[in-house]
Amino acid sequence: MTTSSFSIEMKLTEIGTAVKGTNPREVIVAVAPAFGKEMNKTIMRINHASVLREILSGIEEQGAVPRVIRSLRTADLAFMAHGAAKMSGSGISIGLQSRGTAVIHQRDLDPLTNLELFPQSPLITLEMYRAIGRNAAMYALGESPNPVPVVNDEMARPKYQAAAALLYLKECQSLVPDQKPVELKAEFLIKD
Amino acid sequence: MLRSKRFEILEKRPVNKDGFVIEWPEMGFVAMSSPNDPKPSIRVENGQIVELDEKKRENFDMLDQFIADYTIDASIVEEVMALASLEIARKLVDINVSRSEIVKLSKGLTPAKVLEVLNHMNVVEMMMALQKMRARKTPSNQCHVTNVRDNPVLMAADAAEAGLYGFDEQETTVGVARYAPFNALALLVGSQTARNGVLTQDSLEEATELRLAMLGMTSYAETVSIYGTESVFIDGDDTPWSKSFLASAYASRGAKMRFTSGTGSEVQMAGAEGKSMLYLEIRCVMMAKGAGVQGLQNGSISCIGIPSSVPSGIRAVLAENLATTLFDMEVASGNDQTFSHSEIRRSAKMLCQMLPGTDFIFSGYAAVPNNEDMFAGSNMDSSDLDDYLIIQRDMMVDGGLKPVDEESVIEVRYQAAKALQAIFEELGFPIITNEEVEAATYANSSEDMPQRNVVEDLKAAERILRDGISGYDIALILAKTGYRQTAERIFNMLKQRVAGDYLHTSAIINKDNVVISAVNDENDYMGPGTGYRLSPERWEEIKNIRQAISPKDFD
Repeated sequence: MTTSSFSIEMKLTEIGTAVKGTNPREVIVAVAPAFGKEMNKTIMRINHASVLREILSGIEEQGAVPRVIRSLRTADLAFMAHGAAKMSGSGISIGLQSRGTAVIHQRDLDPLTNLELFPQSPLITLEMYRAIGRNAAMYALGESPNPVPVVNDEMARPKYQAAAALLYLKECQSLVPDQKPVELKAEFLIKD
Repeated sequence: MLRSKRFEILEKRPVNKDGFVIEWPEMGFVAMSSPNDPKPSIRVENGQIVELDEKKRENFDMLDQFIADYTIDASIVEEVMALASLEIARKLVDINVSRSEIVKLSKGLTPAKVLEVLNHMNVVEMMMALQKMRARKTPSNQCHVTNVRDNPVLMAADAAEAGLYGFDEQETTVGVARYAPFNALALLVGSQTARNGVLTQDSLEEATELRLAMLGMTSYAETVSIYGTESVFIDGDDTPWSKSFLASAYASRGAKMRFTSGTGSEVQMAGAEGKSMLYLEIRCVMMAKGAGVQGLQNGSISCIGIPSSVPSGIRAVLAENLATTLFDMEVASGNDQTFSHSEIRRSAKMLCQMLPGTDFIFSGYAAVPNNEDMFAGSNMDSSDLDDYLIIQRDMMVDGGLKPVDEESVIEVRYQAAKALQAIFEELGFPIITNEEVEAATYANSSEDMPQRNVVEDLKAAERILRDGISGYDIALILAKTGYRQTAERIFNMLKQRVAGDYLHTSAIINKDNVVISAVNDENDYMGPGTGYRLSPERWEEIKNIRQAISPKDFD
C-alpha cells in the first residue's frame, strides 16, 4: 500500500436486526462478527475502514445501492454471504471476513459455491476490493461482468496459513450463537 | 532507530517470509500439549470401556465411542495403562524391545496416554522409534505427477520419468475436474512404461475416484480425510462410520487405500476445542486403526503451515508419523506441501522422515516443478532431485530414489508419450501429434507443450466413464499396437487387484510383480545389524551419481 497523508476513520452503528430488502438495486455487504470492532485490520494490516469504503464506493459507482450487515452467528465466509444474499433485494451479496477474505454470492446458489471467490486474503489489494464492489453491483443490475482477476501464490501457505488461522480464531471469539444479523450504518470520516 | 546492518541482512533471508505464531492454547493453537488435553484414564466394566481419558461413557463424543469400541482392546487396557508413560517411551527407543512387543502394548493405550508417551521423547528418540516401528522393512517414496493444464501427454511422460527415479506410488489430481479420467489414464500408461508395479492414484471427489479405481485405471486411494473433533468431522458431512464404509468400498474392489489426517486441520477450521494439535491427531490415528484401514497419510499435510508456525511444531509432525506406526499401520509421512521459503528449514524437516525411513517418506514428492504441482506445491520438487539423491549418498541412507541418466529419461518419456498417442488414436480421442510427443519428451513444464483443444479433450475424457473403458481395454489396445511390455504390466496390475495381496499393510509392488508388504517384509529392527540395511547392489545404485568424477575421466 502507498502511504497517504490522510487517514480514514469508520463508525459502524448497529441499528437493529437486519431485515429482507426489497430494492432490486441493493447489494448487501455482510461483514464478519469482529469486523471493525474487536478487529480493525486485515491480515495485511490494511484498515477495515479503507477496505469497506472501497467496496461500498465500488457498489455505488456502478449505480447499485449498498447495505451493510454484521453476521453474528457464523464467521464462515460462505454461510455469511449466502445468508446475506437471501436478504438482499437483488439477491446479490458480498461476504467479508476481518482477515480480508471476500466472496460475491447469489441467493440461488448452494452455500459452498459462489459467483466470485477471493480466498487468498493477503493478495487482495484496495483496488481489488473496489473492483469486487463494482462487479457485485453489476451482477445486481443483471449484467455479466468479467470476474475480478484472481492472484495465485504457491508460497502463500508458508507465509500466511498460520496467520490466517489465527485471525479466524480471533474472529470466532466474537460469535454470538443463534443471533440474527444486525443492520449497520457505516459512516466514514477522512482526516488529514 | 538506526538499523543494524546485520539485522537488515537477516530480515531478507527466506526464513523470514515464513509465518510464526505465539502459542494460543485456549484455542488449540499449540503443538503437543494444551492445558485442556485430558489426562489418561480408563475404566472397564463387563468388558466395555466406561471411562476414557477422564470422560464417562455417557459423555463420549463419536470419536471417543469409536475408539473405545473398535480400537482399544478392553481386555488388556487396564494392565497397559498401569505402566508409566515414561516406561513406554523408553521401550519405544530401546533396541532390545521388539516392534511386535510395542504393537501389542499399543492395543491397550488411550489417546491421552499416547500423547503423554510422545511428550517424553525428543526428536532423535522419535526417529529411533520410527526406524523400529515402521511396518515395512524397506522404506519407499511416493510422488505427485500433475500439471497446470492437465496435459495428458506431458503427464504420461512425467509419470514415466518418475517411475525411472523409483517412486513406488504416484499420485495425480486435476486442475479441471472433468479431466480426471485422462489423468488416471496418463498416469497408468506412463508409470507402467517405466516399470512394472507402480501404484497410481487420482485424487478426486470421492465417487469419481472410486469409479476410476473400479475400472482399473488407478490402484489406490488416500485422500479420504478424517478429523480429530466431532464438530469438524460433522462439518465435512461425515462420521467415523461413513468413512469406514468408504474404506471398505475400496478394499472390497481390490484397491489399496489409506486415510488422511494431520495436525492443524481442526485449528484451521476453528474446531479444536482447545486441545493440542497432536492430541487431536492421535485421535485420528486411533480412529483409523479402529476402522481397519491398513494405513494413514499424516504429517499435517495441507495444514503444515499451522504446526510449523508454533514451537515444537515440526516435532509434533514427526510424533504423529510415529503414532501411526505405533498402531501397526502404514505411514505415508507428509513432506508433500510447501511449508517454508527456507531451503535449510525444509531440508531439516524432511530429514526427520528420510533418515529413519518410513513406508513413504514423501506423500508425495513433486516429480514436476512446484508451480505445476496441483496439490499446491510440495516440500521438494523436480529441481531438488539431485540434492535429494546426493543426500542419500552422503548419509548412506535409502530415500527410495535412484540416480538416472538423461538419455534413459528422454527415452522413457518418448515411449510413454508414444504409447498414449496410440491409445488416443485407437479410441478415437483427439489425436496426439508427433509434435506433442516430441515436446513431452524434452519438456520441463506445461509451458513447453503445444496447446490442446480442451473442449474436445473433456468430451473424450467423459467417454471413459460413460462407456466404462477399463484398464483391461487399455492393456488390449497397447498389446495390439506394439506396446506389449506396457500392456503386460497393466494386465499384471489388474491381476494384483484380483489377488488382493497388495491390500496388506504397507504394500508396494516391485519390478518383478511381487508384493512387498509388512507381511513378507516385516520390519525386524532391533539395533545395529538388524532391520533394513542397504544391499551391496542398492548401495552401488545410490553411489553412482552422474556428477562424481573418476581418474578414468582423465585418461
